[in-house]
Amino acid sequence: MSRNNDIFTPEGYFEALQQNLQAIPAKAQARPAAAVRLAPWLAVAASLALLVSVGLFSFRKTAAPAEEWTDWGYLSYLAQSLDPDGVLMEMEQPGELEDEDIIQYLLNEGISVDYLNETNYETDY
Amino acid sequence: MDSLESTFNSIVKQYSERLYWHLRRLVNSHEDANDLLQEVFLKIWQALPSFRGEAQVYTWVWRIATNEALNHLRRQQVRSALRLTSFEEEMDHRIEADPYFNGTAAQRELAKAVARLPQKQRQVFVMRWWDELSYEEISAITGTSVGALKASYHLARQKIQESVSEQILPEDD
Repeated sequence: MSRNNDIFTPEGYFEALQQNLQAIPAKAQARPAAAVRLAPWLAVAASLALLVSVGLFSFRKTAAPAEEWTDWGYLSYLAQSLDPDGVLMEMEQPGELEDEDIIQYLLNEGISVDYLNETNYETDY
Repeated sequence: MDSLESTFNSIVKQYSERLYWHLRRLVNSHEDANDLLQEVFLKIWQALPSFRGEAQVYTWVWRIATNEALNHLRRQQVRSALRLTSFEEEMDHRIEADPYFNGTAAQRELAKAVARLPQKQRQVFVMRWWDELSYEEISAITGTSVGALKASYHLARQKIQESVSEQILPEDD
């Protein structure tokens, strides 16, 4: 007797399941690869990164050594010198950080779940 | 239909139902298990061209499924931590509220106790108790030695027995 007799699925689930899963190859081929979809955004990001790098390099070469500039000061100078018409400054602000972004960042940084949730700490055998 | 698609369809036919139950036991939700199953088979399809038979097919697909489930559970744990809530309490509530559960109170307690186990013990227990895999099969999937698996399983049973109110697990096999 199956030990899975305490849980069940919606009616007809398994009858439709194989058909749904076997449609995956067709769906995967119809959807452009992530790199193709992201290419325009990557181009914008690369251009901005280049602008910032050039701006910071120029700024550091010309700023008086005695002055103390904050990071915001650098960015303000950059905005004024590279974007006199204020186009960059008017660019839409990035959206609010989603939980998924935070989660993915933490996982990528190797932050231990135990560290985040100390009450769940248990010795790993 | 090319041979790759034909192979994929065979894998779907042979493993989809077993993988569903495996995922369901790990994540305790029909909806999450179904979503994960779609992700698992998408990954199988994407990785199929480079699969050279280094492992047996069942080992390979089970490993993909288990890793997806464990990643999903890790994300849920992080979400709970960010919301300053208890992951264990959320899992308890999820099991209590499951509309697709029709077992006894003892079986519900068992599910909750398993959900509270550390990751490795939970993984081994699910594979041994519900999936009914041999230690050798679990070792091939997880890369952990049979001895270590037996130790994890034994500890898992002890912890479960301490937290459920009645004897629901038969003696060790």
